[in-house]
Amino acid sequence: MEVSWLYLIPLLPLAGAAVNGLLGRWLPKAWLYAVALLVVLLSFCIGLFAWWQVAHIEGETAQLRQLVFTWFSVGSLRVDLGLTFDRLSGTLVLVVTGVGFLIHLYSVGYMDEDPGYWRYFAYLNLFVSMMLLLVLSDNLVAMFVGWEGVGLCSYLLVGFWYDDDAKAYAGRKAFIVNRIGDFGFLIGIFVLYLYTGQVSFQTLKVAPLSLGVASAAAALLFAGATGKSAQLPLYVWLPDAMAGPTPVSALIHAATMVTAGVYMVARLSFLYVQAPGVMAVVAVIGILTALVGALIGTSQMDIKRVLAYSTVSQLGYMFVGVGVGAFAAGTAHLITHAFFKACLFLGSGAVIHGLHGEQDMARMGGLRRLGLKHTAATFFIATVAITGVLPISGFFSKDEILAQALNTRAFDFLTLLPDPSSPRLAFLGPAIYAIGTVTALITSFYVWRCYLLTFEGEYRGPPEVHPHEAPWVMTLPLWVLAALSVVGALIVLPSHHLPFTWEHFTEGVFARPRGGPPMERLPELVAFGIALVVAWAGLLTAWSLYAPGRALEGDERIARAMPRLRRALASALYVDALYDRIVVKPLWATARTLWRAADVMIIDGLLVNGPAQVVAAVGSVLRRFQNGDVQRYAAVTAVGVLILVYVFLVRG
Amino acid sequence: MVGPLHYLFLGAVLFALGGVGVVLRRNALIVLMSIELMLNAVNLTFLTFSRFPLVKSAPTQAGFLSGHTAVFFVIAVAAAEAAVGLAIVIAVFRSRASVNVDEFDTLKF
Amino acid sequence: MAETVLFWVFFAGVVVAGAQVILRRNPVHAAMSLVACFFFLAGVYLLLSAHLIAILQVMVYAGAVMVLFVFVILLLNLREEELSRERVTVWKGIGALAVAASVGLIVVFALRTAYSGPVRDLAVEQLPTGFGTVKAVGRALYLFSVLPFEVTSLLLTVAIVGAVVVAKGKI
Repeated sequence: MEVSWLYLIPLLPLAGAAVNGLLGRWLPKAWLYAVALLVVLLSFCIGLFAWWQVAHIEGETAQLRQLVFTWFSVGSLRVDLGLTFDRLSGTLVLVVTGVGFLIHLYSVGYMDEDPGYWRYFAYLNLFVSMMLLLVLSDNLVAMFVGWEGVGLCSYLLVGFWYDDDAKAYAGRKAFIVNRIGDFGFLIGIFVLYLYTGQVSFQTLKVAPLSLGVASAAAALLFAGATGKSAQLPLYVWLPDAMAGPTPVSALIHAATMVTAGVYMVARLSFLYVQAPGVMAVVAVIGILTALVGALIGTSQMDIKRVLAYSTVSQLGYMFVGVGVGAFAAGTAHLITHAFFKACLFLGSGAVIHGLHGEQDMARMGGLRRLGLKHTAATFFIATVAITGVLPISGFFSKDEILAQALNTRAFDFLTLLPDPSSPRLAFLGPAIYAIGTVTALITSFYVWRCYLLTFEGEYRGPPEVHPHEAPWVMTLPLWVLAALSVVGALIVLPSHHLPFTWEHFTEGVFARPRGGPPMERLPELVAFGIALVVAWAGLLTAWSLYAPGRALEGDERIARAMPRLRRALASALYVDALYDRIVVKPLWATARTLWRAADVMIIDGLLVNGPAQVVAAVGSVLRRFQNGDVQRYAAVTAVGVLILVYVFLVRG
Repeated sequence: MVGPLHYLFLGAVLFALGGVGVVLRRNALIVLMSIELMLNAVNLTFLTFSRFPLVKSAPTQAGFLSGHTAVFFVIAVAAAEAAVGLAIVIAVFRSRASVNVDEFDTLKF
Repeated sequence: MAETVLFWVFFAGVVVAGAQVILRRNPVHAAMSLVACFFFLAGVYLLLSAHLIAILQVMVYAGAVMVLFVFVILLLNLREEELSRERVTVWKGIGALAVAASVGLIVVFALRTAYSGPVRDLAVEQLPTGFGTVKAVGRALYLFSVLPFEVTSLLLTVAIVGAVVVAKGKI
């Protein structure tokens, strides 16, 4: 159904960014906050209105569409700025604007004393606008604009405190690693255009694609997703991106931007089901990332880093979901993760704010009893959600993914090698389930570790720092998000008879993977039982090591038991050092050599200074003609006359 | 028989002598005298062509003595130029105590 | 016949005297050689039937201009050591050769074809009206070039004033 007001959704935050960015320095603080908060709220309201309509339209084509304008038309390629608000993108719009609004509100408290606050809110609004564009666009090119836009805002916000070299470096790292993925994304778009002449989702859905082309395009686009959504091997920017303000980490690196990769795969489900080999790759990379992220998360001392690796790990779960064909489950986890991860991050922000900048858990402890009651409570609720010890949102969404992975038949007909007689990959689903369950145990362990070390036990910090609770603008969003983490369970309840589950809601939006409907390898209740046991196992292990009274001893015991492993995990498996050695340093060396050879020697020396020096040399020779000696002038004139006489008399 | 070519040849020789003198001699006064030589060579040429016009041109009543009038003016101008030039030499000599043209080289880079 | 002999005598005189002008080290000697050269040139002018010009040559050039030259030379009172030896640099040599060469080229290429065909001798043709006489030249001057004539007087005035000012030192 065509409407004419969809463009307001991404436009309003963009306008807010423009106003705050250009005039913010001179606006009164209250006005600036009002503008920033209002535009996001308005977008949310319009989104709500649109969502209500879409929810009531029956059938697969439940969409609101708007062709805003034709961006460019070259030859046979026509790229429009088109927006499509369907049940998937519409819900995400609500998540982005809703959680976004809460984080804007939180930022009013968090960034109040920062001198660059006006820049911050401008960038934040810009980010929301770009993310909305990404989610709503109806073709690959417009989506790529939003994709790049959020990458840009990530750079601007991670490196917000640009005076600090390390923070600025983190911003650059985020952008550059993202860019590497974006290159793959772009080539993927080119491949699709080359073979179909289309970039719009609607036309691509029905375009005939060979297995090779579909696989190539899917793989390349997924390469972009590994960058944007911090999967192996391009996840290294996310932990460093914690250098930015904590609300930024909450919004961009937990709730929205990093989920863009998952959204893209879900949006292009029709493409991925045509390339089952790539889907297998997606699922494998997802589960490996989940495992590695969880393992590294167990050994971090910076509270934000723990949450960063947790995000990496949970994103891995989402990719497992979409990789095995459970697009609804994957995107459901995306939504619930937005709630509880944002709550966790904002909670950590409240802790940091209350401790005047302390981020090391070694110097925290006992904060619940020292006054951070709201923070502790919401953090507790969110931890329960993510680890799944109680059946609230995180439990269902994560374990739905694992159940789908166990039961999937998407890989039944795939073989390990192109040779048809090599072993079939039907075992991949159950294997992923097994690894995923182990990872869930580790997840439960390290998140409870984080909670216990921060809020329970004795306070280990310096005595002059008096922890205090955050202002209401910060604790209100915490409570809202905690409530959503609980209530969000409703949409991911597995009962297929309930009409309001996410799976029902998005029926028709996603394509079905080949291989047929999932088979039931384990009864549902058994799977959930295993998940619950695993979650409690993690909690109890964490309690035994980090309980109040023991706290940091837990880390020491692990370090004694597995010293090498612990050290490796604490340094994030040395991946950063590895990348530094094989990629960064050679690039720098090449750049330096090229700079010296090409720029300094050839361009500066030869092309720029060369003519100048030639001119100077010629000049220093020619100036001897003007030495003031009149007779020499006469002599030169005589020579000239001779030449003229010769030319005119002798040669006619 | 002495024809126009002889006179013109004499004029050429005189001009060459004067030109060489201007370029080679270092005494400013000698240079001025060499310039006078060149002017005289020019006068001689004017007069030669005045008496032996090139056949193509048919001089009018006014024209056939135009060479003489030209020489008249050349002599007048040469006199004026000699006067001013010598005045300059005197002025320069007063400040530099030399008439060597090689030493008058301050009009340069 | 007599014309030929006289011409070659005068020719030799002009060339020798002119050469002395550029060759003598002592400027007074050079000035005297120049005077001699002017006299011989006056003779040549007479052979060309340029009677007025010949007289003017002697009166103005030899009589006034050269006197002025000699006055100045004597005024400067250059001592022996100030008259330095000539030093022919490369450029001066090249310049001199260029002058000679260009004159030579003109002589060879221009003069050779200058008078092809019969030669008109105006001195002979215009004998009745007086070719080169004071009256004829006067008529030519006053009737057909009055403006340059008057302007020349202005020029001479300016030259006088200029010479006085330049040579004065303190104005």
